[in-house]
Amino acid sequence: MGNCLKSPNTDDISLLRGSDNGPEVVDPSAVHIGPPPPYQESVPIYHPSPNVSRPANQLTEDEQVKIAQRLGLIHHLPTGVFDGTSKKAKECCICMEEFLLGDMLRFLPCMHTYHKECIDDWLMRSFICPSCLEPVDAALLTTYETS
Amino acid sequence: MTNIAQARIKREFKEVVKSDEVAACNITLELVDDKYNELIGKIAGPPDTPYAEGTFCLEIRIPETYPFNPPIVKFLTKIWHPNISSVTGAICLDILKDQWAAAMTLRTVLLSLQALLAAAEPDDPQDAVVAQQYKENYSIFEKTAKHWTAVYAGGPKSCPELDSKITSLKNMGFDENQARAALSSKGWDIERATEYLIN
Repeated sequence: MGNCLKSPNTDDISLLRGSDNGPEVVDPSAVHIGPPPPYQESVPIYHPSPNVSRPANQLTEDEQVKIAQRLGLIHHLPTGVFDGTSKKAKECCICMEEFLLGDMLRFLPCMHTYHKECIDDWLMRSFICPSCLEPVDAALLTTYETS
Repeated sequence: MTNIAQARIKREFKEVVKSDEVAACNITLELVDDKYNELIGKIAGPPDTPYAEGTFCLEIRIPETYPFNPPIVKFLTKIWHPNISSVTGAICLDILKDQWAAAMTLRTVLLSLQALLAAAEPDDPQDAVVAQQYKENYSIFEKTAKHWTAVYAGGPKSCPELDSKITSLKNMGFDENQARAALSSKGWDIERATEYLIN
């Protein structure tokens, strides 16, 4: 047991010694004078269209509706975990990495499969399948009509 | 650059280098540095077009948000084409704008550009002067495009008559490239081209 504690102990002592050298000397130029930095709220960035990037608080009303609808529709798309049984889906066409056991997947109505993270990022910009260009919402609506 | 963009370009680069099109010398891709965010693409002019036997260089810049946004591509080689600016090389192609999809690759972009050379869309022009000439006087357009391919893209020598017109403007003290652009946009009429250059 003594063995286990030996080497970390010596390290700790050397650290303590370093901080024992009297009171800390503060470089006056390093002291921050004036008001504290402005309070920064991290605002999520949205992409109402593929080439438009805007923080959430600068979206027009129409864009807010569009984003909200997309968020809602994306949640209706089935997800799953890659278990290696599917012979069709082997790699994600967005990141071009092969699916690994345990990867979270999302399945589109056109039967194309992607990493959940990759396709969600894409669908927030454009609501079409990146492989077959099939509009995802149209396909979703027809699935509802037939089921 | 985010990891996904860089990782994808690495994979795509290998894919293009190994592909059949490269073996046939149709398209090539080169890295500018080891950062994988800037590449130089080369496409061969399609046969039976005014661009045949020419080699066209493209500047490809990969945005940090790739593949969610398209690569930024422009022609480095000067070209006379309705959908490509004869001045800046900017390209009007739907998949490089709003029709981009994340599953498209640099290989598909290069092949689409090659297809654009074979099938111009003058009703959706990038260069209005070229598009107008394409629609109103196709034979002059063809002659001009061939001439530009010969001069800038290493295509076969075409029409000596055009060269002599450029020489005569050069002898008047005008820059060769400017003289060529002026003559091309004015239907190879020396008087109108001179007037254009003076104004």
